[in-house]
Amino acid sequence: MLPVMINALLISNNIAGLDDYYVSNELVQYTVCRITKDFDPDLAPYDILVIPNGSDHVAMLKIKDKVRAFLDAGKALICSDGWFTDWVPGNQWVMDNARRTIDIRYHVKTDRYGLFDGVDLDELTFSHGMSGWWACGYIQVAEGADVVVEDTWQRPIIVLDEVSTNGLMLLTASGPLADVTFSGDREVALVRIYRNFLKRVQSKNNVVPMIAE
Amino acid sequence: MQTIGLIFNGVWSHYAMATAPKYRDIYKLIYVYDLDDEAVAGLDALVVPFQSNQLELALRKDLIYDFLKQGKKVFVEGDSTADWLDAQWEDRPVNNYWWVENPDNPPVSETKYDHPIYQGLTPRQACWHTHGVYTRIPDHAEVIQANPQGEIISWQTHHYGGTLFATTLDPIVEHGVQQITHLDNYVDRLTEWLSGIKPTPGRMTIDQGVYGEGALI
Repeated sequence: MLPVMINALLISNNIAGLDDYYVSNELVQYTVCRITKDFDPDLAPYDILVIPNGSDHVAMLKIKDKVRAFLDAGKALICSDGWFTDWVPGNQWVMDNARRTIDIRYHVKTDRYGLFDGVDLDELTFSHGMSGWWACGYIQVAEGADVVVEDTWQRPIIVLDEVSTNGLMLLTASGPLADVTFSGDREVALVRIYRNFLKRVQSKNNVVPMIAE
Repeated sequence: MQTIGLIFNGVWSHYAMATAPKYRDIYKLIYVYDLDDEAVAGLDALVVPFQSNQLELALRKDLIYDFLKQGKKVFVEGDSTADWLDAQWEDRPVNNYWWVENPDNPPVSETKYDHPIYQGLTPRQACWHTHGVYTRIPDHAEVIQANPQGEIISWQTHHYGGTLFATTLDPIVEHGVQQITHLDNYVDRLTEWLSGIKPTPGRMTIDQGVYGEGALI
């Protein structure tokens, strides 16, 4: 049986260049929802909601209940941004500048689905020899959710949550995740984690088959 | 008293900066979809940060120029479009590691340090990295910063009544991100120029009570 393509809704804040990082491929079909004043998307047709870096968390708060229902229906969410409003069920991102970025080191803690298979963790920790470039702040994590990655001070940086709702959430403390190879960049850690999560979503039984046109 | 309107589109870095205790009595967050005459009434200045919603700004172009016509200030950082600004911004690869690999070749080589924003700043405080360049600016504009290739990084004009200042630096976003530790210097100078109010000296702090249910929106 061939794997079923994932049907994703990408929420766009109309930021320059954002769409370049999310190109449909054999794994995922993207539909772009551009935020407007009357933002109220229909989430039902999709398997996963993608909230990229630079998103509008005022708009997301407006559809908080709709996101909750979407997840309770067994669907998935990936939020690789700093959600300062409380629209993500069970978990809250907070900004924090009390720690020096030069001291930041990441550690994989609980990775039950192999999200870090083939991933060089140092690529998230360092860029051109500088540490602390990828994420900011930390996640106040839901009880029972997996802390996939924590930092030097055991602050949750990547969280996988299957307990707060009936669905699956992958959350980062604002660290971007995307398949940037389609915009010409290298297949680095943030690409592989993103792909590995999509594959996990794909392998779930509740993926809705897409009808070929 | 909040006298600077920060037009934001729900992006966390804008929020982090504007709600920091050091700045939140000076900056008023204005959600871009709520940007109207009532929202800007009584303000001295507007800030349009990097990662803004350029489509929505273009729809509200008249409001921005009416604001300038009243003799007020508008500060634009990062990218922009010619749909509302009489200039051409072009993207370029971001080099935010020059100071590690090539510290003698910063991305800005010319700065007019007599401009009020830049007075007293060191070269390092006046430029961290840039997001693109301006390949065309209005005839009536003055160049404030340029890169080693002579391309325009920062410019200003008084042509519209007040002062319009545009730069491809991103002080608001990066100060919100807090990965560059010297940005209090630039942002404090900018804030004082825009509002006449000098922020409390010292490093920006975060109030975690304004995240989640306590969000100031």
